[in-house]
Amino acid sequence: MAIRKDANTLTAAERAEFVAAVRELKAEGIYDQFVLRHANAIMNAIHRAPAFLPWHRRFIFDLELELQRVSGNPNLGIPYWNWPSGGANASMWNDDLLGGDGDAGGVVRTGPFRAGEWTVINASGLPAGPLMRAFGQSGLPALSTQADIDQIMAVIPYDVSPWNTSSNPSFRNQLEGWIGPDLHNRGHVWVGGSMLPMTSPNDPVFYMNHCMVDKIWHDWQVRFPNQGYLPASGGPFGQNLNDPMDSTPSGQVGSRPIDVLDSVALGIQYDDAIVQPPPLPPPVIVVGAAPTPADIGAPGETDIFQFEVSAFGPHTMFTTGPSDTFMTLFGPNDPTAEVASNDDGGENFNAQINRNLSAGTYQLRVRLFSPNTTGNYAIGVRSDGGPVPTIPELVVDGGSIDASISAANESDLYRFQITAQDTYTIQTTGTTDTFLSLHGPNNQTPEMASNDDGGISSNAQLRLELGPGEYFARVRHFSPLGIGSYSIRVTRG
Amino acid sequence: MANHKETFEGCVIEIKDDVNLTINGKEINYEHDRTNNKWSSRYLPYTKYNSLLELARAIVRDTVEFSHANE
Repeated sequence: MAIRKDANTLTAAERAEFVAAVRELKAEGIYDQFVLRHANAIMNAIHRAPAFLPWHRRFIFDLELELQRVSGNPNLGIPYWNWPSGGANASMWNDDLLGGDGDAGGVVRTGPFRAGEWTVINASGLPAGPLMRAFGQSGLPALSTQADIDQIMAVIPYDVSPWNTSSNPSFRNQLEGWIGPDLHNRGHVWVGGSMLPMTSPNDPVFYMNHCMVDKIWHDWQVRFPNQGYLPASGGPFGQNLNDPMDSTPSGQVGSRPIDVLDSVALGIQYDDAIVQPPPLPPPVIVVGAAPTPADIGAPGETDIFQFEVSAFGPHTMFTTGPSDTFMTLFGPNDPTAEVASNDDGGENFNAQINRNLSAGTYQLRVRLFSPNTTGNYAIGVRSDGGPVPTIPELVVDGGSIDASISAANESDLYRFQITAQDTYTIQTTGTTDTFLSLHGPNNQTPEMASNDDGGISSNAQLRLELGPGEYFARVRHFSPLGIGSYSIRVTRG
Repeated sequence: MANHKETFEGCVIEIKDDVNLTINGKEINYEHDRTNNKWSSRYLPYTKYNSLLELARAIVRDTVEFSHANE
């Protein structure tokens, strides 16, 4: 577990440990290998493109593993450069960590990476003089502010065609610095000197700059859990979710963007020095109420709404208004399980979804069909009347009920009555890979148990002791996209 | 088409026909963002410059391949 902290909050011991580890890697030649890995990568494969963030996440992760190795501290994390409080007078530039600005000629003469103690290399791996810095003298005199960060933290989607420095709206492009306030590039340019060329990892602050970039991406991922990496496919080779990234060796983790999307899975933990606003709970739509006014205020924005279905039945999710909306339905009780999506199923260019919905919590996500426009709309959900369909009843030791999952994410609900405490078995049969959950007693909501393949072949089976009461069994396909027929029964014993 | 040749911080920058850039005789590849009329190079991946000459001078000044910083 790498614990990454604000560089300005490190204790003296933590500073000494980080500096010693970096210098040890330099002495081993490992540090310069990282410089060359970056310097000799294809510029437009690792910058100015979607893979910019995953490539550098993997890159600093790999260095971090080396730092942990030489320090013997498995929790050593690369400190991040908290730009808003990381100006020239910040303690991270003191002699016990990074040293300070360059002299009149740009040569760094203070700190552990000063001239005589630290030699940079060129892209051929040859010594190329001392570390150089020129704070604020290369065209960008000021560092990013918290307001800059907050602004970019609100940008979605992750990236957009043409997947380069023109991409807009694009969280990646804004964070990288080609449009908007400029965060990452600004860090390089503000330091100047050795941080300007492709050999920029020569300056250890490179890693702190990218650790901050990575933290912002991580925070953004937490804030927008449904905004995935883009492009999933169809982009330039090396930029798609499952493409191998340029100049990324095989290692502890894979070399594709998909391999590094989850910081937590990589064992990375950030401190909480930068407090990001927590994700807001989605606005709630009441089924049957008047449509809720909303608007897409920024191009590419997606609005999220939540609603509850109390009992199985037909429902209509719809938008009204002048905008060309696109709507996607997720659930039940899983905001990542897509049920259906629609573009123009409603009046004019409005979206509309008609579905039988099981009881549970659902999310609706609405965007405009065009990612380049803004507009207002209203959104509503209605139950499409009539008697609520009866939940099929299973009789203990009675016959099976034959049914099928006929659409993606569909789930079937059954009820059965237990009159005497004993062990009971609920199981499916057939060729479909079913997933079974048991709820109750006397309530559809609490989940008592679930099972995937406990039965014959890929069938689900639950065997457990039940007391008197009414129970509910829900069956779905194991795959969110799967369909197929099955039979279900309940037996005593 | 214009040609330009100058010595900048000890390096010879030469631009032929407005497009062919060499520094100390070495051909320098670069990108021209025609939409924004900016120039950039893999030598300096974090900045786009307002002219090819400005880019060339930055490469001379800021890359270890061409700068001459002494300890």
